[in-house]
Amino acid sequence: MSFDHILKAIFSALFLANILRISTPLILPALGGLVTDLAGATNIALEGIMLVAAFTGVVVSAYTKSVTAGILCGILSGVLISALLAYFYLYLKTDVFLAGIAINIMATGGTIFLLYILTGDKGNSSKLASGMAPIVHIPLIKDIPFLGTVLSGHNIFTYAAFLLTWLVAIFLYRTPLGTHLRAAGENPEAAATLGIDVKQTQLIAFLMSGFLASLGGLNLSMAYLTLFQREMTAGRGFIALAAVYLGGRKPWGTLIAAMIFGFADALSNQLASLEIPSQLVQSIPYVVTIIALVVYALQKRAQLIERTRRFQERELAKSGGGATGS
Amino acid sequence: MSTIRKILAIRAVREFLRIFLAVFAALVLGFLITLAVSKQPIEAYKAFLLGPVSRFNRFGDWIEESITLILLGLAVSLAFRAKQFSLGQDGQMLMGALVSGSIALFVPLPFLLRVPLALLAAMLVGFIWGYIPGYLKAHLDANEIVSTLMLNTIALKIYDYFLIFWIKPPGAGYNASDFFPVEGKLPTFLPALPFIADLQKRFADHTNITIMLYLMIIAIVVAFFLMFRTPFGYELRTVGANIKFARYGGIDTKKTIILVFAVSGIFAGLAGAHLAMGIHTKLIANITVGLGFEGIVVAIMARNNPLFVPIAGLAYGYLRAGADVMERASDVSREMVLVIQAIIILLVTAERILPMVQQVITARRQAAAGAAEMTEGENNVV
Repeated sequence: MSFDHILKAIFSALFLANILRISTPLILPALGGLVTDLAGATNIALEGIMLVAAFTGVVVSAYTKSVTAGILCGILSGVLISALLAYFYLYLKTDVFLAGIAINIMATGGTIFLLYILTGDKGNSSKLASGMAPIVHIPLIKDIPFLGTVLSGHNIFTYAAFLLTWLVAIFLYRTPLGTHLRAAGENPEAAATLGIDVKQTQLIAFLMSGFLASLGGLNLSMAYLTLFQREMTAGRGFIALAAVYLGGRKPWGTLIAAMIFGFADALSNQLASLEIPSQLVQSIPYVVTIIALVVYALQKRAQLIERTRRFQERELAKSGGGATGS
Repeated sequence: MSTIRKILAIRAVREFLRIFLAVFAALVLGFLITLAVSKQPIEAYKAFLLGPVSRFNRFGDWIEESITLILLGLAVSLAFRAKQFSLGQDGQMLMGALVSGSIALFVPLPFLLRVPLALLAAMLVGFIWGYIPGYLKAHLDANEIVSTLMLNTIALKIYDYFLIFWIKPPGAGYNASDFFPVEGKLPTFLPALPFIADLQKRFADHTNITIMLYLMIIAIVVAFFLMFRTPFGYELRTVGANIKFARYGGIDTKKTIILVFAVSGIFAGLAGAHLAMGIHTKLIANITVGLGFEGIVVAIMARNNPLFVPIAGLAYGYLRAGADVMERASDVSREMVLVIQAIIILLVTAERILPMVQQVITARRQAAAGAAEMTEGENNVV
């Protein structure tokens, strides 16, 4: 395929729709990472939570023949795993990174272990007839030529991702609990002196994070694919964390950052048809993530310098005013 | 009673006890899991616990695996001691395996030059692959967990690319290199002396325990001296204990952080060379599979102390080798050891568990004493 074809493919409606599809399992856990990050703790167990939810969803939907039951149990399992992490971190004083690593290891091992027991196969769950999350065709929009292909016909998780970004933004900036949560993360001592129960607030953040990451995991096993594969999250939980930083720790910023990763991923799929070795192309999203970390760091530094400069100017103006006054 | 108290008051003893109890609890839990899922649980668990010493080649597997784990454990200990959560050992190992393997295959030097060159190159590339996240962390405050994990995947892609497009013999249907020539292999750890010829032959035929065993011992000593007997080690530990204090104390924390990551990478790179030139003696796809985070559990069990790393590495290597035997001998899959591993990490690192247990015990004792007093009081009244 020539370069021309690639360019055409990139600007096609299908490609844009593909970005939405690939971004969804990044947006949802990234929102989860955002909530805990703002509450003052890095949840590196997003990966494990996603994996457990993906697995539970597939298994429950296969045995109950109900997609709804699968999704609900998947969410429940992810929230429970997140609660376990929160318990060890908040109440048993385990280092949050080490506890998170342990949870990830347990999720990887546990899902393969159970998969083998249930199906006799360690690779994937293709022997289980698991359910698929419904696909939404938006009336009216679906008939618009270009826009219809891009916006309509996705699974419910994709729409949930955008809706939840909006809800998380409202929660964080327009509700008392959201404000408390950010205060607990910004300065726990100050928050505590104001009467905020920091531990409880952080616990809530972890539960929400578990909920959001679970949806990301379910999206992988019940919509993106319709089976469970061992280690199917493939580092998405960590890329999601990077998206939080790249997005400037803001809900919509996080969503956009996650979509940039989705774009890089979709692009690498397209470029794979060129005569470039696929290994090098596949590493694009990971290189982009590292660049994103650097960009975020530089941004933060620039902000700090700007803030210091403004502060100095203000102080100078004040002292200057004082001098003329006397 | 008082002597027991005195012994318990020694910190090292308490630490040891705590780790021992954590491993024991994890093993009991593992047994309960086996009971629940297996048709022949006793057989399965016996294979798990006794497997590694049941046959000579399995004993070899255990020691080989432990060498890798100990090198990884040293790498993680150095980083974690400085509270730098580098998870990049997998990538460093892959790069180490790739570079040392390529030298072992293609550089036309005699054995005495080729092997040292390959090992040095593996250490150097580990250093570089650690330097990158170290620099990002020190100068840009980039989250090291994310950056090291991304570098792991990038290393994997680079490894695959070179293996498939450059190293694999043309026309081969599988993704692996040829076996290394004799000049590029690590020799068996026993020298060819006449009076141990039989033993040497046995080890050479059934195991891949190589001179890496001695290099590992040197690595342990070096890591110990580095951490406890050099200015760098002091700086490393101070940064880990309290980075603000370290900065006020005049330590160049940025330099220390970068060096911590990079030096940690040297050990992981060496582990990669061990995989390529010692265990597999060829480059294969997914050469580090299943080893990614294993250094972490070793380091945590050793409380980030290089002197305890060999004990933890041997113990954990034993569990892993046992899990392999169990999988082959029974209907329980080896991933159970991952669950056990996670439980060990959680139990060892949960600061509050031991004090909580102590609290429960003292509360019980007080309650018992209180009850005794009560009954005494009642007796008096009567």
